[in-house]
Amino acid sequence: MSFEWLGLAALGSYLAGLFAVAGIARRARRDETAADHFLAGRDLGVFVLFLTLYATAYSGNSLLGYPGEAYRRGFSFIMATGFMMSIIVCFHALAPVLRPVAIAQGFVTPGDWIRHRFGGEPGERALLLGVAVLMIIALANFLLAQLTAMGHVSSQVTGGLVPFWLGVVGLAAVILYYETLGGMRAVAWTDAAQAMLMLLGLAALLWWLLTSAGGMEAVTRQIAAVRPDAVRVPDRTEQANWLSTIVLLGLASVVYPQAIQRIYAARSGLALSRSFALMSFMPLATTLVVTLIGLAAIGHFGNLGGIEADTVMPRLLGTWAEVGPISTAFAVVVFIGALAAIMSTADSVLLSLGSMLSEDLLERPRSRDATASTGKWLAAVVLLGMVALALGPRLTLWHLIELKMELLIQCVPAFLLGARWAGLRARPTFFGLLAGTAIAVGGVWLGFARVGGIHIGVLSLLVNLCIAVGGSLVARRGLESRQAPS
Amino acid sequence: MGGDSAGRAGTRRRSIARRLLLSLIAVLYVVSIPWYREPGVLPEIWLGLPDWVTVALACYVGVAVCNAIAWWLTEVPDEGPDGAPR
Repeated sequence: MSFEWLGLAALGSYLAGLFAVAGIARRARRDETAADHFLAGRDLGVFVLFLTLYATAYSGNSLLGYPGEAYRRGFSFIMATGFMMSIIVCFHALAPVLRPVAIAQGFVTPGDWIRHRFGGEPGERALLLGVAVLMIIALANFLLAQLTAMGHVSSQVTGGLVPFWLGVVGLAAVILYYETLGGMRAVAWTDAAQAMLMLLGLAALLWWLLTSAGGMEAVTRQIAAVRPDAVRVPDRTEQANWLSTIVLLGLASVVYPQAIQRIYAARSGLALSRSFALMSFMPLATTLVVTLIGLAAIGHFGNLGGIEADTVMPRLLGTWAEVGPISTAFAVVVFIGALAAIMSTADSVLLSLGSMLSEDLLERPRSRDATASTGKWLAAVVLLGMVALALGPRLTLWHLIELKMELLIQCVPAFLLGARWAGLRARPTFFGLLAGTAIAVGGVWLGFARVGGIHIGVLSLLVNLCIAVGGSLVARRGLESRQAPS
Repeated sequence: MGGDSAGRAGTRRRSIARRLLLSLIAVLYVVSIPWYREPGVLPEIWLGLPDWVTVALACYVGVAVCNAIAWWLTEVPDEGPDGAPR
């Protein structure tokens, strides 16, 4: 069987499996509440929780965007292994505080934390809206990246039998179907299966990478011969950017709505801490591998620039598939694993979008069954908009990641500082968020996305923090002076 | 009573160990970036990778191990009065 038809058969089997899981998850539901639909009844154990965290964290960005960026930047993109670990490190600041409150108060969305932490204060409603809008924009951006990646991979795995547009539209419809039918339960179960497929695929790819090139040293020497700059010690600006990227992605990823919702969905605190302990090693098994794939592509393909570099992994797999029938079968497994990773992230994003749109933005009452249904419909509308944008990709996947993070990081004071400092007040936190967002967006708009290698989002977070902390201290002093006996 | 104080001492020891591990992680992150090298220099190859990449990777393996132990030592409570500092 040719690569194209084998790919099409594998894709069909995979999608049939997803439909079956969605049906089983639908039958396993306990009720029609938002907590059951969006959080799987708060009953995810270590194994499923770990795999769903893994499948959600490693997405189309990781599997297509990271090899593309490693291809463009060279060995300095080893930073990716570091910044993916920094996410799990930064969760130390949030998860132990957020989890018990979430269970005690029955949280479903990230906005529930804002309502609880700043409840009744002046500026609470504005802060809730500000956080919700930033998170929804970031999620929509994330969805766009996944849809673009889905189109690329489905087209490549079937050798063009499924065109890019059909991959985007068709797979988006499949995700919408099983997410709507089975909620978080279907998403977590499919995530678990998808994560195992992805690990298998990447292990096979690493094996091929090292054996076919004659070992890692041969790969490095080949890169040094083709592009010496990719091997040289990076300059000071690139080094500053390295540190900035670790800070940006580490902090911003902690406030991913879908990650926060997994803290709520864990069966117990122990299940959560064990899952995070296991997650600490996954950048070595995933990010490092995809970085090496992107680097190995430098020796295979001469000069791919811009968006084209995002296709280095599918191109390498295409080359591998031509070697023989066994490599063809493995290449199909890797393609399906990549597609699984992308779809598992897209479904989690869609689920979070639905809950945030209905409960945080529109403030629909949770007690009504119709609220979960409203969330599903609103998420579907956003998905349609993103499908339209994905059909004409203009930005690299890495650029989309950076834009998303520059916005999300502005929510950090409300969550991390709010969890650790009792003195933080809602109104200055909102004004900090507003100023940070304006500087980040304005900087990117005016072409100052980085200053000396530091992301504008990281610099604007400093301004954001100064306003939030300074304003809170001033508010406290004002309150104390009013309460003092005259 | 004795059990309670032993439990508190154990919790305190875990908390100190966790803080030490998180501090070590911060140091490893700083060392992973090749500030210590002259920019633009062609490196030697160690273990199949440019030397500065091997150092970075060794640091990240250290971060993974320290972070996993730190999470193993972390108690994430399921219940609390309301948990939020007010």
